[in-house]
Amino acid sequence: MKHALKMLIILFSIGISTSLAQSDEVKVRVDGLSCPFCAYGLEKKLNDLDGVESINIDLEEGLVTMQVIDGEKISEEDIKTKIKEAGFTPKEIVFSKKNNEADKKE
Amino acid sequence: MKSKSLLFVFVISLVIFSSKIFAQGPPIFTDSPLLLGLEGGGIRTFGKYISTESGQTYIQPLVIPYNVTTDFQIGGIQPYVFRSPDNGESQSGFGNFTLFGKYSIIQIDGRAKTFRALLKYTQTFTTGASNVSVDANASQFSIVTGYITINYGIYGTVGYTFVSNDLPDNLIYNFAFGYPVLPQKYPPFQLNLFLELNGTHTLDVNKHLLFVSPGLQLMTSSTFLIETGVQIPVIDDRNNTKFVYTLGIRYLFF
Repeated sequence: MKHALKMLIILFSIGISTSLAQSDEVKVRVDGLSCPFCAYGLEKKLNDLDGVESINIDLEEGLVTMQVIDGEKISEEDIKTKIKEAGFTPKEIVFSKKNNEADKKE
Repeated sequence: MKSKSLLFVFVISLVIFSSKIFAQGPPIFTDSPLLLGLEGGGIRTFGKYISTESGQTYIQPLVIPYNVTTDFQIGGIQPYVFRSPDNGESQSGFGNFTLFGKYSIIQIDGRAKTFRALLKYTQTFTTGASNVSVDANASQFSIVTGYITINYGIYGTVGYTFVSNDLPDNLIYNFAFGYPVLPQKYPPFQLNLFLELNGTHTLDVNKHLLFVSPGLQLMTSSTFLIETGVQIPVIDDRNNTKFVYTLGIRYLFF
């Protein structure tokens, strides 16, 4: 019984960490980023997310890099939703954790 | 005198009932299919100086768009018109008010590029002062497309305008090529060159007006740009318009 409870807690923790990745940095490839002035709307939308410390947008690579406040969590779904609300198409999302372990998602 | 007044009405109706002076985004005289950034929540105003054989007209419109959703935008345009005919007293007043709606129908995104298309509807009402406005309602349907990359942008618009009070309907077509002179980066400091073609064919009277329109646009931040352009008639069946000059700004409020 005790073993089963332990397993349940581990599985629950895995589930939480999948949907709410805790990381220092999040890199998102965004398609449709073709002009500087439209990138502003994307920056504003992503800044609405709780836990975002700063945002850098690389237009040539179509890459958005978000620095995350220590201890804060941002979900992949929330990031995708904000990008779609801004009028763009989200692609790969990579969460970089404190130990530099990258968790790639698409 | 009467013929010059009719000519004035003709020129103003061409300018107002074609969409080119109210184009929403970069480029300067042609619509953009993007509903983002300065084209989404940006208030725009610009001065437009029109020199004709019968006098000068200056138009100062204020354009306010609002994005209801990511795909749907509504907005309003209120111009103020100064008219200075060669033979007669100068006149000024508010021009006709226009409502517009845009609905995005195609969005194909790639890395640093996008192809988009939207349907646009504008409705102009006879709210303006009678001495500087056309006494006719106008409904315009158009398709706005664009292929935009960080290296260049190609834009095109075709539309049809229904005009009331027995004034002739017209067909409009706009084409624009935009080239950023400086490397595209964000936050932006951007200098864009545009070369545009802006045409109007007035039915019934079967008259054509085609402008070649070079333009320059300076973006100093994410929320502000200043732009200027000149429209030179290369086909003008009325042989009336000398040139059109515009200088304007856009500021992102929302």
